[in-house]
Amino acid sequence: MLKISEIKDLIKCLDESSLDEMVYEYEGEKIKLKKNQPVSYTEPVSYAQSQKVEPPRTEASLQEADEDSIEVTGGSAPIYDYQITSPMVGTFYLFSSPESGPFVEVGDQITKNTVVCIVEAMKLFNEIEAEVDGEIVEILAENGELVEYGQPLFGVKKK
Amino acid sequence: MSSSREKLIQLLSAHMHTFVSGQWLSEQLDISRTAIWKQIKQLKSDGYQFEAVPNKGYRLISQPDKVSENTIYWGLNTNWLGKTLEHYEEIDSTQRLANQKAQVGAQEGLVIVSDRQTKGKGRLDRNWDSDNAKGIWLSFILRPKLLPSEAPQLTLLTAICLADTIKSLTNVEPSIKWPNDLLINEKKIAGILTEMQAEQDQIHYLVIGIGLNVNQNQSDFPSGLGNIATSLATVANQEFHKQEIIRDLLMRFETYYQNYLTDGFKMIKSKWESYAYKLGEILTYRSGKQRSQGKMIGIADDGALIIEDVHGHKTKKLYSAEIEWF
Repeated sequence: MLKISEIKDLIKCLDESSLDEMVYEYEGEKIKLKKNQPVSYTEPVSYAQSQKVEPPRTEASLQEADEDSIEVTGGSAPIYDYQITSPMVGTFYLFSSPESGPFVEVGDQITKNTVVCIVEAMKLFNEIEAEVDGEIVEILAENGELVEYGQPLFGVKKK
Repeated sequence: MSSSREKLIQLLSAHMHTFVSGQWLSEQLDISRTAIWKQIKQLKSDGYQFEAVPNKGYRLISQPDKVSENTIYWGLNTNWLGKTLEHYEEIDSTQRLANQKAQVGAQEGLVIVSDRQTKGKGRLDRNWDSDNAKGIWLSFILRPKLLPSEAPQLTLLTAICLADTIKSLTNVEPSIKWPNDLLINEKKIAGILTEMQAEQDQIHYLVIGIGLNVNQNQSDFPSGLGNIATSLATVANQEFHKQEIIRDLLMRFETYYQNYLTDGFKMIKSKWESYAYKLGEILTYRSGKQRSQGKMIGIADDGALIIEDVHGHKTKKLYSAEIEWF
């Protein structure tokens, strides 16, 4: 997945150029940026721009907003054909502990039995298996987020 | 444990204090008298003492006071829970080993118990202090035919087993802090860690881990824990035989679990609520990013915590929240 800093760099590039619009593609990810367009939630760039004019927030909530904007940019061009959904209401954990790395990252090849995340409900830790072979192309929930039953967690391009 | 030793222990525990002949045992177990003798020898090396009289047979004189596969098994009246059991003097984590065994197909009911854990596991890989032989640290495997969303109820079920056991041993009523911590006088005496591997609609396995502080003195807890942890011995002012408590827990669990599978969560729910910590009190909690307050009025039919807003108008169910209990 593109990093926030990388997206910011792209926005800066676009701002400083005479272009109205740009598309950036890398390893199956695609981001489309436009400028001087009316504000609309379907356009990823406007979402990202609207953020800039928001009042100052705490560091934590800013980060959350940034991550949200990634979801929107990614969501504009779904390139997956399978969603891993949550089997229960609970908290989504992409990390088994604060110190360890994530279970999976965008670009990871997964098999049916790959554990992709944990959903915790009532202190029960449910290791979710992928159930398909393929590649993680998008992470649709945020670490620590409360997820609903059936909510999509990952976008997978099936093999 | 070999099945012939299981049967031998069953026979010996059913005929305590009387002589049983080697011939009779060999007929009952359908193994040779030499094999019986070998099994008896193994029990002796584990600390069991027998009187052996020619023409009369063996009579048990005394049993060891320690945790071992034999001593847990001695008198364990379960049908499947703990029928396979592994005891270690030291292991990194019973939970880790049980998970590993479950992944490669270990049966429902396998119990892993260790005197000490060098890396006792709390939730989210938090450390659980268990590097001493004074507590009970065990994990067991379940393979219930339930939906993954129903599985958290088993954590609540485990909590009432622990509460019953603690109450029967100390005559003090513990409280259960939703969903899975056992408290006495607001100090933690036991905890439960439940881990599951599941698909959308099917549970592969569950591992339930129990940590129970038994014979610790307040000075045995590392600094920092002394104010928030307690033990059976501290509460009751006496030491306990851990193997008896383990047996008691396993038998209670099996009974509750069988009832739950046939009759559902209702009985568990009311029992759980009877032990509930801060029932009817106002709590502050964080769910997702929001911090709110509300009155805890009970648990729902699926085990979720029911919170009523401060105006008393609306209720909502909490499945996952950080609650500021103290």
